[in-house]
Amino acid sequence: MVFNCAGLRKIDHKERKGMLKYILKRMFFVFFVVIGVTLVTFSTMHFAPGDPAEVIAVARYGEDLTQEQIDWVRVTEGFDSPVYIQYLKWLEHVLHLDLGRSVVTSHDILEEITTRLPATIKLAAASLLISLCISIPVGIISAVRKNTVIDHLCMAGALLGVSIPNFWLGLLLIWLCALTLHILPSYGYGGIEHLVLPSVTLGTSMAAITTRLTRSSMLDVLSQEYIVTARAKGLDEKTIIFKHALKNAMLPIITFAGLQLGFLLGGSVIVETIFAWPGIGKLLVDSIYARDFAMVQGCVLFIAVIFALTNLAVDIMYAFLDPRIRYEKS
Amino acid sequence: MNKKSNFLTFLIMGGLIATVLLTAGCTAPQEDDATNELVVGISTDVNNWYLDKFPDGDGRFVWSQVYETLVRLDTDLNIVPGLAESWETPDDGKTWIFHLRDDVYFHDGTPFDANSVVFSYSNESYVKKMGALRALDHIEIIDENTVKFVMNKPMPLPFYLTHVAWPIMSPSCVHENGNFAEPIGTGPFKFEKQVTDQEIVLVRNDKYWGDKPALETVTFKVIPEATTRVMALETKEVDMAIKLPEYDVSRLEEEPDVDVYRKLTTFTDFLQFNCNSGVFKDKEVRKAVAYSINTEQMVNTVLEGIGSPAKGRAFSPVMMYSNPELDLYEYNVEKARDILYEAGWQDSDNDGVLEKNGEPLKATIVVGKGVWASRHVPMAEAIQGTLQKVGMDADIQVLESGAINKLENEGQFDVIFRTGYFVWGPYPRHFFVHQSYCPYSHYNNPEYDKLANAADSTVDPEKQKQLYYDLQDMVLEELPAFYLVHEEKIIAANSYVKGYQITAEDPWLNLEGVYLEEEQ
Repeated sequence: MVFNCAGLRKIDHKERKGMLKYILKRMFFVFFVVIGVTLVTFSTMHFAPGDPAEVIAVARYGEDLTQEQIDWVRVTEGFDSPVYIQYLKWLEHVLHLDLGRSVVTSHDILEEITTRLPATIKLAAASLLISLCISIPVGIISAVRKNTVIDHLCMAGALLGVSIPNFWLGLLLIWLCALTLHILPSYGYGGIEHLVLPSVTLGTSMAAITTRLTRSSMLDVLSQEYIVTARAKGLDEKTIIFKHALKNAMLPIITFAGLQLGFLLGGSVIVETIFAWPGIGKLLVDSIYARDFAMVQGCVLFIAVIFALTNLAVDIMYAFLDPRIRYEKS
Repeated sequence: MNKKSNFLTFLIMGGLIATVLLTAGCTAPQEDDATNELVVGISTDVNNWYLDKFPDGDGRFVWSQVYETLVRLDTDLNIVPGLAESWETPDDGKTWIFHLRDDVYFHDGTPFDANSVVFSYSNESYVKKMGALRALDHIEIIDENTVKFVMNKPMPLPFYLTHVAWPIMSPSCVHENGNFAEPIGTGPFKFEKQVTDQEIVLVRNDKYWGDKPALETVTFKVIPEATTRVMALETKEVDMAIKLPEYDVSRLEEEPDVDVYRKLTTFTDFLQFNCNSGVFKDKEVRKAVAYSINTEQMVNTVLEGIGSPAKGRAFSPVMMYSNPELDLYEYNVEKARDILYEAGWQDSDNDGVLEKNGEPLKATIVVGKGVWASRHVPMAEAIQGTLQKVGMDADIQVLESGAINKLENEGQFDVIFRTGYFVWGPYPRHFFVHQSYCPYSHYNNPEYDKLANAADSTVDPEKQKQLYYDLQDMVLEELPAFYLVHEEKIIAANSYVKGYQITAEDPWLNLEGVYLEEEQ
C-alpha cells in the first residue's frame, strides 16, 4: 500500500465521478447533522425551566418585572407563536444569513461571531501546530524505542500531559513566563507574544493524546509484513520509518487532528478565560450565563457547521489518502 | 528523498521553526512610559451603556467614570451634592426641588440642564422599569436649572438618586430613531473606544466641572480570571486590579511593590429562609440555625479574614442607620440544640438527624454561581457542616440565577444563599424580606410592612433612624433571613499608583486624585 498525498495521485474520470458522489453524499449528511443540532439546541433552550419571555425580560429590565413587560417581550420576540413556527422562522432567517440580534445587548450575532473568529482561528491553528510538533516526533521515538527507558519517559510525559488540567497548566505558565521570567505577557490579545502561552497550554494537552495515538499507530504499522520485507531487503531504518511506516501511520493521526481542529474552532472556554482571549467559546459561555437565547443558538449553529465541515474535510482527505477507504464503496 | 516524503519532514521542521520563532519573537511586556495613563484590570466588560439597563459585574466601575448622579456619596458614604447643587422638599418628601449646577457640560459639549434630568428618569430608564422609583409621578421643569420631582407618596428621594445605576445621560446618547448611539455623560472621563471583551479606553474630560483628574487616560482591561488579574498586576501589565480573590490578599499585602486597599462595603451575604413552607416556616428552627452558625470563624477560615462577621445584622456597619448596639446572635450550639428540643425536634431513630411528627429536619441550601458568588459555595459547605452538629441534614444545590429566581418566585425552596446589595441609606427594599415589595422570603407580617413603608416615607432623620432601628430589631427577632458576612471590597494597585482612596460604595471606583509616580 502506498501513501498518496492529496492532489499528487492521478485521478481518472470514473474516480472523479465517484468522488463527487461521495462528497455530495457527505455534504447531505452534514446538512442533516447541522439541522439536528439546531433542532436540539432550539428545543433545549425553549423547554428548559422558566418562561423564555420572562428570562429575556429579566435580562433586559431587571428582576422586578411587570406582566406587561413580559408580554411585550413575548410578542416582540415572537414567543407567542408555537415552537415549531418559531423554529422555522429562525431557520428561514438563518438561510438568509441573518442570525438575529442578541436579546441582551442587541448586537448583531453574525457580526459578533465573525469579530471573534480571527482570535479563535489563530489560537486553534497555533495550538494544533504545537500539538503536532510535539506529538509526532515523540510518538515516533517512543514507538521505535519501544519498551526502553526513552519510551517509558515519553509515555509518562504523555500521561502527565493528559492528566494536567488546562487551567492549572495555564496559570503555571503565566507564573513562570510572565511573573518569574518576564518574557511573555500574562494575558490579552494582540501580538504574537500574546499567542504563545494560550497556544502552548492548549497544544501540550492535546499533544499528550496524539503522542499515544502516534505511538500505537506506528507500532501497528511497524509490525506489518511489508516493513519486515523492507528490513529483509536491507533498507536503512530511517527510510523504513519515514518513507514506509510513517506515511501509513499518519492516517489515524490526521483524522484525530481534524477532530481536534473542530473542537478548537468551537473555542476553548477555559484557556480563553484564563488568558482573556476573546474567542467564540467564551462568547458562548457568557451568553449561556446571560440567558441570551439568540446568541447561544447562533454560536451553536456556527460551531456545529464548523465541526461538520471539518469532519467532512477529514473524511474526504481520508478517502484520498487511503485507497482502502474508497468513496466508490461507501 | 522524494516530494512526498518531504511533506512530512517539512511539516515537522516547519512546526519546530515556527515554535522557535514564536518564542524568540517574544519580548517582555512593554511598560508604559507615560505616567498619566492608568490601566485597571476588571473581570467583565461593559455590556450596556444606556439608561434602560445597569451593566453586569465590573462594568459598573467603568460607568461611574463616565456618568454622574444628581446626588452623590463621598468615600465614607456621606451624602454630598453631585450634579445638583442643592435640594429641598417643601412638603416633607412629597415633592423634591433640585437646583442643578449651571457650569456642567456633557462630553459632546451640550449643556447639562433640566431636560436631561427628565430624559434620564423617563419611563425607559432602568430605575423606572425596575420599579425603584414607582412612587415618582412626574418631573416638572421649573427652569433650565431647576427640576421638581413629584411623588405619589413621601419618600427620601436624594438617597435613591445617589445610585450609579441611575445616572444623568445626555439626550444625545440616542439617535433620532431612538437607538442608542454612544455613551455621553458628564463624568471626569469620556468614552474613547471599546473592544469587546478586551478593553475600554476612557480619556480625561478637560471640561469637567469638578477637580480635573490628573490621569489623562484610563484603560480598563477585561481579564475574567481572578488569578490572571492578580498576576497581571504583579507583572505591572495592569496598574490596578479589582475584585481580587480572598486567598491572594494576605500574600499581596506582603508584597512591597503592591498596595492593597480594603474597606467594608454595603453588601452582606445572607441566608434567605422560606418562611411560608418547609422546616423554616417554624421561627424556632430559623433561630436554631442562627445560633449554630459561627460567622466569626467563617470569616477567619473560609474567607481568610476578609469581611466582617454579621451575626444576623442586616445593615453593614458602614451604612447610615446601622445600629451598633444590636443584640446579635453569638455562636452557641448548645442553645441551638435546646431551642430545637423545646420546639419538639428529637432524634428518635438515632441517625443524627432530628425529627418532628415523623418529618426529618432536612433542608436544601440553594447557592448561585457566577462572578459575584464564588465565595458562596465554600461558605455554604461550612454551614452544611455546622448544621449537621445540631441535627439538621442540609444539602447544597448550585443553580444558575434564572433557576433560582423561578424557585424563589414560586416559593419552591428552603433557603437561598444570597448577597444583598444594601445601599448605605434608608432603602427597605434591600432587606429582601419585605412582603409588599420583595416577597422572596415569603415572609408575611403586616407589622413589618407597616414599619418598612413608614421608614421609606419619612424624611425627618431622627424619626427615620428610629424606624430603621426598629426594623433591624424586628429582622433579628423574626429572622426572615440570617445575615452572615458583611463583604469587604478589595482593590490592589502597584505602589506607584498614588492618591487612591477606596470607597465603601461598591460599584464606584473613585479615581479622583489618582496619579502615577514617575519612577515605575
